[in-house]
Amino acid sequence: MRRRAEPVSLIAAGAVTPFGPDLDAFWSGLITGSDGISMIERFPVDDLRVGRGGEIKKLRALPGTRRVGCRATQLLFAAAEDLLARAPIAAEPERIAVVLGTALGGVGELERALTPRGRFRHAAGALYDSPAHALARRLGARGPVLTVGAACAAGATAMGNGADLLRAGVVDVVVAGGYDALCRFVMRGFDALRSLTRESVRPFDRRRSGLLLGEAAALVMMVRDEDARGTRLGRLLGHGSASDGSHIAAPDANGRGLELAIVSALDEAGLTAADVEFVSAHGTGTPLNDRVEAGVLQRVLGRRAAEVPVNSIKASVGHTMGAAAALEAVMCLLAGREGVVPYTMGLEEPDPACQLDHVIGSCRIVRPRVSLSTSLGFGGCNAALVLEAADS
Amino acid sequence: MSVNTTIGTAVQAVSVLTGWGPGIEALPADAARAAAGRSVIALERPALEGERFRRATRECLLGVAAVDALLRASRIPREVVRGSTTALIYVTGGAYGASNHAWVAADTARRGGSVSGTLHFPYTAPSVMSGEVAIEFGLTGPYGILIGGAAAAVDGLWQATRLLETGQCERALVLTVETFEECAELYARGRWLVGRPLVEAAACALLVPGARRTRYDAPRAPSALETLARARAGETLACAPLIALALARAAGAGDSIGVTGEWRGRRAGLHWH
Repeated sequence: MRRRAEPVSLIAAGAVTPFGPDLDAFWSGLITGSDGISMIERFPVDDLRVGRGGEIKKLRALPGTRRVGCRATQLLFAAAEDLLARAPIAAEPERIAVVLGTALGGVGELERALTPRGRFRHAAGALYDSPAHALARRLGARGPVLTVGAACAAGATAMGNGADLLRAGVVDVVVAGGYDALCRFVMRGFDALRSLTRESVRPFDRRRSGLLLGEAAALVMMVRDEDARGTRLGRLLGHGSASDGSHIAAPDANGRGLELAIVSALDEAGLTAADVEFVSAHGTGTPLNDRVEAGVLQRVLGRRAAEVPVNSIKASVGHTMGAAAALEAVMCLLAGREGVVPYTMGLEEPDPACQLDHVIGSCRIVRPRVSLSTSLGFGGCNAALVLEAADS
Repeated sequence: MSVNTTIGTAVQAVSVLTGWGPGIEALPADAARAAAGRSVIALERPALEGERFRRATRECLLGVAAVDALLRASRIPREVVRGSTTALIYVTGGAYGASNHAWVAADTARRGGSVSGTLHFPYTAPSVMSGEVAIEFGLTGPYGILIGGAAAAVDGLWQATRLLETGQCERALVLTVETFEECAELYARGRWLVGRPLVEAAACALLVPGARRTRYDAPRAPSALETLARARAGETLACAPLIALALARAAGAGDSIGVTGEWRGRRAGLHWH
């Protein structure tokens, strides 16, 4: 029998997204209905079916980072700058952990390493855990440095793993979250899979035809509840994960793994589906994902499926892969704090097979206290987070 | 950092496959000498039958083979691990390197006008490695996927004990896989990061509820067991702590064992006491 876990406080968050260099830009982009999708300019895409995505056009030059060539590391440093501007880390270096989720790590460095001018630092940077270690060094963290490779569910799993380090007393502060940078490697991959749409991304819409990728980094600072001082963004109440064990690249047709992950996260939170006031869906805009996910949410929420607001932000910033779940968790907490739920861009004609209380057309004025955030990834990874917004 | 747990776990079984051969019996006394100048001691692609494995990468098949070896050696029917009560923790430092390398190389060739490779893109993701294992054995419980060397494997073992202690699973498989051959030239450039010889390996440990509590810490120095595992197996990155576990069990350590592992300057330890 699973025991209820102690909640963990989320003191602050930081992010860099296609909307801009910080959390404020991210939030204002969402609630104003901005479009973070553009033509990709940083690497060649002329031979691909689709060359658009949520590319971050400009990164702030940060002190001491002139020699950092790895794009993923640059994104992490930018998000960390935003995070630390909101809340300094107050712990001994050995008591600080860094736990990051990613789908791609520093694979952009592999592309550079394999060019004739590639250098050994590119080869070392190509290891997926290199960006996390670079961030740990920048933060002066000398506790555990974990890189979670659970593909597009990695950000959620990282936050869950980070919470566990706190609950077990291994460290006092965890900087957790997720990141991924756009690069040719992944653009060509999804292009080859025919997963990218030539149209708009339309999560849960009957006309949906695929996703667009994006790049971002999102970090949260986590501490044990009893150690939280001053204001906080909210709390992580529960995390659950489950493998589909059915297909390497497609979700289980019945969403069994996702359902198990949700139930597990609610168990850990000591809550039931009746307590959920808002759902941040994975909502990629692919035909199969959205149908499966909607079916799971209909089953889990039961009759309340018609009255619990559901959104997806992937049409706004693209599918940011390892960063997605962390960004969406932060969005849940901001929605609770600000009393506004961002709407699902691109969703105009809900698919009858995806009937839920979608937030369509404009933001909804509602202040969700308890949110559920769902994520799925290659390899049959499913993760769910249950979050509680701080009192406004 | 040092944390003691209050609920017990135990290591029920460990399997090891290395470039030296199956089991710890195949390990030489001195890996460096046995390598005789070879930089990589490779593992062959397991000959697993079935259409499902046609596209699977060598590292995926090695993971399946390691779990299969554990179940066979321990006489545990597959039905026992099938389902949502078994957790799967997968750890690797660089087994995704081969598929990533192949994908980049194929893209380079494609842009140059040549025929692209046949690698299926999802296989470049580390999570697909554990996904194949989950499919093969019907594992639908909680997962953990950590990227890193030996310290990450210790972290993975600790995560498995946490899942058991908190009632999230009834048993946990901790699987590690490392391949080097396809990226040997890249590893040669990062010599400061990895030792020699590079020995491909796949290992699996089955953890269950038991009598021993654990201590998770950050020791400054390698344990004698860590040193022994490295001397006998060579550089096996994330597989090293599981090889050490197998060596300790073979030496009659019983349930009271501990492993340590280092990666990128950080050492982690997990001790059953």
